[in-house]
Amino acid sequence: MEIHKDTAFPLQFQEALETEQPLSDWTLFQLAYEAQRESISPFFKGLRALGHLPALTFLPHQIETAERAIETMGGRAILADEVGLGKTIEAGLILKEYMIRGLVKKALILVPASLVSQWVRELNEKFHIPAIAYRKNYDWNQISIMVSSIDTAKRPPHRDRILEIDYDFLLIDEAHKLKNHQTKNYEFVRLLKKTYCLLLTATPIQNQLIEIFNLVSILRPGHLGNYEDFSRRFGNKRSRLREDAVLKQLVQKVMIRNTRNETALNTAARKIETVWIDFSEAEMDAYRQLELAAASLPPFARITYLRELCSSREACYLSLQKQAGKGNAEMDAVLAQIGNLPGHAKAEKLAELIKKIGDEKVIVFTEYRATQIYLQWFLKQQGITSVPFRGGFKAGKKDWMRQLFKDKAQVLIATEAAGEGINLQFCHHLINYDLPWNPMRLEQRIGRVHRYGQENDVKIYHFSTRHTIEEQVMSLLYEKINLFEKVIGQLDDILSELEISSLEKEIESIISESASTGEARIKLENLVSVIEQSAEEDQKEA
Amino acid sequence: MDLNLFLRRYFEAHKCRVSGDDRIIQVELTETLDRVLMNRPFYWQYMKSTGMKGQPLSLSLITDPQLSGEGERIHFGSPRLQQIFSHLQENEQYTRQYEIIQSSISTPVYPWLAANVKIIYRGLHLREEFFSIGLNLVNGQMKTDMMGLLKPVPFSHAISDQCYPISPVIKLESGFQRIEKLLVSYIEKQDHSWAAQSLRAMEEEISLLKHFYDSHELESMEKEIEDISMRFKPSIALSTLNAGLFYMGSDFA
Repeated sequence: MEIHKDTAFPLQFQEALETEQPLSDWTLFQLAYEAQRESISPFFKGLRALGHLPALTFLPHQIETAERAIETMGGRAILADEVGLGKTIEAGLILKEYMIRGLVKKALILVPASLVSQWVRELNEKFHIPAIAYRKNYDWNQISIMVSSIDTAKRPPHRDRILEIDYDFLLIDEAHKLKNHQTKNYEFVRLLKKTYCLLLTATPIQNQLIEIFNLVSILRPGHLGNYEDFSRRFGNKRSRLREDAVLKQLVQKVMIRNTRNETALNTAARKIETVWIDFSEAEMDAYRQLELAAASLPPFARITYLRELCSSREACYLSLQKQAGKGNAEMDAVLAQIGNLPGHAKAEKLAELIKKIGDEKVIVFTEYRATQIYLQWFLKQQGITSVPFRGGFKAGKKDWMRQLFKDKAQVLIATEAAGEGINLQFCHHLINYDLPWNPMRLEQRIGRVHRYGQENDVKIYHFSTRHTIEEQVMSLLYEKINLFEKVIGQLDDILSELEISSLEKEIESIISESASTGEARIKLENLVSVIEQSAEEDQKEA
Repeated sequence: MDLNLFLRRYFEAHKCRVSGDDRIIQVELTETLDRVLMNRPFYWQYMKSTGMKGQPLSLSLITDPQLSGEGERIHFGSPRLQQIFSHLQENEQYTRQYEIIQSSISTPVYPWLAANVKIIYRGLHLREEFFSIGLNLVNGQMKTDMMGLLKPVPFSHAISDQCYPISPVIKLESGFQRIEKLLVSYIEKQDHSWAAQSLRAMEEEISLLKHFYDSHELESMEKEIEDISMRFKPSIALSTLNAGLFYMGSDFA
């Protein structure tokens, strides 16, 4: 092999000595030598960043992921771990490593607006990376490590400034939002000039194969050929990803996906307990009346009212009120009956359980805003401190609520999986006050606490009211098939193979379109057995 | 490497006033360093054009990660340190130093060439080695870890009284060649299985790529193959960071 020699240096050196140009001070000459000695990469492999981050403990899969992304993927990778396994940690470690090796000086980190401050905080606090959140009038050129939302970055005049910059490192969080190659966001990202590139996503393959193609094409254009050829050859069938060995190999060259089953995270176990609630006589009567009165309504509306009543009087009352006075005397009577209910059995059970848990932090998830507000009031009556949390909160408010929960309140009452990315590892009791009908959403909720950094076993409580629609859903979706324990890691894969885009809608339509509970049960069982069968096939292949 | 001490030496060598302790450094920059580190060319341009004397900034650099408080955190991999490293790398390439010798009689000092050279092995992965080689330009004697040997010696950029320099017998150019030869023979003795590995990986990449391209797209495929070759093709290069001519007393050996 040829050795490239440094022929220019001796000549320059000689010239420097002969002419009268100032030569280096001895101390500075030594410092240049020491700096270089510190900067070299003495081994082909291994992360030097680990030695510079003594305060952080990494899980084995996080170190392996960073090594693979750098060593075998050349710093261009899709990080597609399941929720809660520490993708941020992996990405931070990779960025840190490149910065230490002197390979990254200029980086752009594009994340959802709600996560900007969290990214900045984690990079600074954990990795001592001086990331800065974009603020009005900041100069894109001046700041080395900039964190911004993609929506800000793609807007003029930022867009043009950014596209002029040669980035050493580009990171995109929640990259599944880029799946469509015809969007402005996708086009913008393709145009960015970058050396290393990480795309982070928890659900890389939720939908179609062509979306994988689009993500891969950001990292390595042409790696999967061109769009036309690819769609002609593979269409949209996700199953081709398993069938075609070459395609699989290609995708694995750019994508790393750790699952909870494979990782050391299993040490913090999940303990799931179902908590049954019995309605009071008055409540049960109202529920039956509602069932009867709503029989003539479209099935979907009927089911929604029933689910709401199981959650709180308030949730149901508010939505029934919108229908009041429309000539349906039965409905109006039910509305009055609900308005007169003295309390709610579920809320009482909640207070009882929280008191039993004692001093520890508890997260309560509900499906309804009205329930959230009611519970906050109700818990206060019971001497229990709580803070609300909604996906719609601005980033700053989310941070503030998280901090309040951590330092001051015992309970956090959240409506939706509290958005992506909020980390609540300091808490290990989670109450599903209402169960979502999509087990994936349940997984996202659990992922907020059962994630990297959780040191305790996670206790999860499913609330379900007997003899109501909740019992049906509970026994079908959660107890019988144990979806969340058995196939959750593969569920998104399976659903897309079955071309089911939303499990929640599927379940809703089965229940609402069935004439009887019996029929719904049979249809749901069919759905479940199809999913189970796919899971088994997947496992056999693996 | 003691970062705090490193920075202290750097700023002091640049004639800045430095205070603080072993956890935080406060430094009053000189105009030169302000121009290098603070990235405000317009300010200095403006000062110059109006004939005013600009006011250099001060910096507080926190070197202890545990310390909380006002200031910029600096550590390995931080942009500020990278900036300082590149400043050193660009500016401190050549030196000439004379050992300080106190003598009442006429004393010869002998020329040594010290070259700090990096070997870069590049393929699938990157590995670097860094050598400091010394060469006596009179008798051809060679030393490894030259910088280590020079470290305890007191130097001045001017020759000491009563000392006189011996003229080199070996020319600088052939001196560099001798050092290069030494490094090449060192490289040849190394295990080079990494190069074979890189070639294998390169071929695998290329064959995967071919699977995905139709015959009518030869041109874009060729370009992809070229890119892959650029990234994977094994190569070895020598790169000199800096070098100096050192006049040493006869007992240096």
